[in-house]
Amino acid sequence: MSTDYQALAKQMVARAKKKGAKQAEAYIEVGRESSVRVRDGQIEDLTQATSKGAGIRVFVKDRLGFAWTSDFTTEAINSSVDRAVQLAEAAAPNKLNGLPTKKQLGAPSDVGPLFDEAVANLDPEWKIKSALEMEKAGKAYDPRVKTFDSVGAGDHVNEVYLASSEGASNGYQGTYVYLYAMPVAADGPQLQTSYWVDYKRFLDELDAPEKIGVEAARRAVRMLGASKVKSQKVPVIFDPMMAAAFVSGIAAAANGDAVFKQSSFLASKLGQSIAPKNVTLVDDGLMKRGLGTSPFDGEGVATRRTAIVEQGVLRSFLYDTFTARKAKAESTGNASRGYRSLPAIGTNNLYLEPGTTSPEELIKGVKNGFYVTAMLGHGANVVTGEFSRGANGLWITDGALGKPVQEVTVAGNLLDMLMAIDGIGSDLTFRGSTGAPTIRFAELTVSGE
Amino acid sequence: MARVAAKKSAVGLTPPPLLPVPQLERLLSAGMERGADFAEVYVERTVTTAVTLEENKIKSAQSGLQQGVGVRVVSGAKVGYAYSDDLDDEALLRAARTAAMIAQGTGSEKSFNVARAPLPMFYRVQQSLKDIEVARKADLVVRANKAAHLYDKRIKQVVATYADSTKRVMVANTEGHLAVDTQDLCRLSVHVVAEGRGKDGKPERRTGFYGGGGRVPFSHFDTFTPEMVAHEAARQAIAVLGAVDARAGQQTVVLAPGWSGILLHEAVGHGLEADFIRKGTSLFAGKLGQQVASNLVTVIDDGTMANSRGSLNVDDEGNAPEFKVLIERGVLKGYMYDALNAKLMGGRSTGSGRRESFKHMPMPRMTNTYLAPGDSTPEEILKGVDKGIYCAHFGGGQVDITNGNFVFEVNEAYEIEKGKMGRPLKGVTLIGVGPEALKNVSQVGNDPMPDPGLGTCGKDGQSVPVGVGLPTLRIDNMTVGGTKV
Repeated sequence: MSTDYQALAKQMVARAKKKGAKQAEAYIEVGRESSVRVRDGQIEDLTQATSKGAGIRVFVKDRLGFAWTSDFTTEAINSSVDRAVQLAEAAAPNKLNGLPTKKQLGAPSDVGPLFDEAVANLDPEWKIKSALEMEKAGKAYDPRVKTFDSVGAGDHVNEVYLASSEGASNGYQGTYVYLYAMPVAADGPQLQTSYWVDYKRFLDELDAPEKIGVEAARRAVRMLGASKVKSQKVPVIFDPMMAAAFVSGIAAAANGDAVFKQSSFLASKLGQSIAPKNVTLVDDGLMKRGLGTSPFDGEGVATRRTAIVEQGVLRSFLYDTFTARKAKAESTGNASRGYRSLPAIGTNNLYLEPGTTSPEELIKGVKNGFYVTAMLGHGANVVTGEFSRGANGLWITDGALGKPVQEVTVAGNLLDMLMAIDGIGSDLTFRGSTGAPTIRFAELTVSGE
Repeated sequence: MARVAAKKSAVGLTPPPLLPVPQLERLLSAGMERGADFAEVYVERTVTTAVTLEENKIKSAQSGLQQGVGVRVVSGAKVGYAYSDDLDDEALLRAARTAAMIAQGTGSEKSFNVARAPLPMFYRVQQSLKDIEVARKADLVVRANKAAHLYDKRIKQVVATYADSTKRVMVANTEGHLAVDTQDLCRLSVHVVAEGRGKDGKPERRTGFYGGGGRVPFSHFDTFTPEMVAHEAARQAIAVLGAVDARAGQQTVVLAPGWSGILLHEAVGHGLEADFIRKGTSLFAGKLGQQVASNLVTVIDDGTMANSRGSLNVDDEGNAPEFKVLIERGVLKGYMYDALNAKLMGGRSTGSGRRESFKHMPMPRMTNTYLAPGDSTPEEILKGVDKGIYCAHFGGGQVDITNGNFVFEVNEAYEIEKGKMGRPLKGVTLIGVGPEALKNVSQVGNDPMPDPGLGTCGKDGQSVPVGVGLPTLRIDNMTVGGTKV
């Protein structure tokens, strides 16, 4: 049974118009997923499923209504469209409301292939075998790797269809495949865990299972014996994973909506130098084969490349159509959504451009400091820029990684932290749609004993 | 500890079943066709409504419908899971047969019958939240916005959200069990930004957040009014204008009652979930009967609290929720089990099997987790601290259950100097190792401890509503994150 989802999206828009909507947009997602976890050389669980959903966004007399459904019977689809139109009555009129115009939509961007037949037709046996290899490699790495919290593999295939009364009518499909391992290492009473993952659109780009298993094990084992350190201000290095979390915080503050509401510490900084010259932070919706790449965003606007920070200067905020209209700016193609939610500003592929220094060199340059490899907590307050998170990692003594450290926090203010960046590694790493190289801060506060 | 007793058992008014019982039974048979040990069918239909206000206008009103079926088949320690949001017979049978493939056996055509047992009613909502007019829901956020701005003219931004869901579930399994429940849930929340002038004349911004709800009828907001919620959010933001940096390092902390219970949720709760225990990945594994906390500490997980956000009439595997003592006077007494882990560990389910939706396998999860009140008054706890930090309102927390490290984010905090509250502090993060922090509990308040109904817990990508609670608590030697050494 095959359904023409593009036609269904158009039908939903037509019905909404008929029911009194001035503008309407339907967003449909269809997907299938398959995943496996293993334990002690055996399958632990296997999941397989298909799912779908449709969201309908309408404007009735400048009022916004939204409804979604996972039930695709004609009756449920029609009733969700009708409900969206009715719900608009409860919202306030806003002249700035509205869908992107034909001109604002632009032609969908040419982003190259997003779909890999090899992933779409991936043999379940491959996933089982890969997960078992990760587990085996992790245990073989060190006898102190006793077990895994979780070790598994999976893939999913997603299709997106969008149609609007303003002329949007398009779709795309993409594939994703991933491997992950969370080993637990034990030595005496102390247990330590870690995490390593690879996540790609194309099978041939995925790291070998053995590599994932070993890297996860290495990261867990080296934490054994971790303890607190004294509170002090020292140079701090974030490994690429933690640097990616840091740049996500900066991008969250560049959210055009937060900026417009004066609820971002970056609100008054446009055009100003906020970081050293070697800092360039980019959101790139066009990145070839990128996990966050798509031809158009969650409201059909063509994706693009936006430099948020360029050579240290804050160049642009990120916008969807509504916020851009409020701020008298242009959408940057950053409307992010699933069928169950209204578009909201998010990143596509976000990354900090790499430098030329190797991560080893960055570490070598620190006499007494902290190399952070894991963090706990939700991180930065975008309004105030305050940053304070629990941190794990390795202490750096005389330019070398040394004893493991846990139960401390690192804290600073994001603006000060940006200015304090005094080294950027050459090792740009993506383990998802956000990437970063190793970064070094001249000084942050580490709180411990 | 006064336990809120359950109302008497009742089988409520029954709308037509989500799936007819004979169809459920056919799906169970299909799940067992390769000779597995156990099969379960979970059917869900959830209707949601949300209204959001920002920039003084109702931005949107929205509603959603999610329905589907998840089939789980267990063969030894292996689990097969498949789900479908297509409810036609063919699609469901396909899902059941997919899950069945986890078992390697040959054909079995056994049939299964299920029968419904009466359930307790820990929450009874006379009129389902989905049937309340959206205009009344919109009115709550309009009133909250108005009240927040009237509270203080320095309140510059208000985002108010009302969200509810009415979830109907059916769980049937090859042990003959069938359970049906309707789970209403709602929450009103208010975020504000206050703007003042710092000492340097530059604008200073602070945030406040409050909200609440639960498995309550809509009339809950007649007494838990939007004005109360807005005032509390605004009060927090105004109170911390002019806040100074916290001193980093180990200090005595006093936690205000209620929502601070997330510290307990993170510090010990997750580590007592049976999946982590079975896999040996929790630092509480193998410690039953041992002293893991100060003898002032008694920790309870109670899925039977009336109308609480984490309460259940039946868990997502069809088992009854329980009142469970996890830690009694510092001694570890028990873990939280779902049915699968209970079976693999030779125990029994504590009614802790929960899942976000039909798209997920159940896992052992907390319901309402709290620390039983002690005998100190909040006043004497504060008075006894020479130098420390008073933590008045909290953001969120996170734990690494393996090494026990947890963080706990404090949005509103004050210095304590010689038993008195001093200057407000900029947002601080507390960090500790679960059992050590609980061993350092030196005073437990006698004040009421439930939270207002705010919490959502995430684990392995699945979110479920939870309740937390803590009376006023003194913990010595907590590590306080800050920027000032």
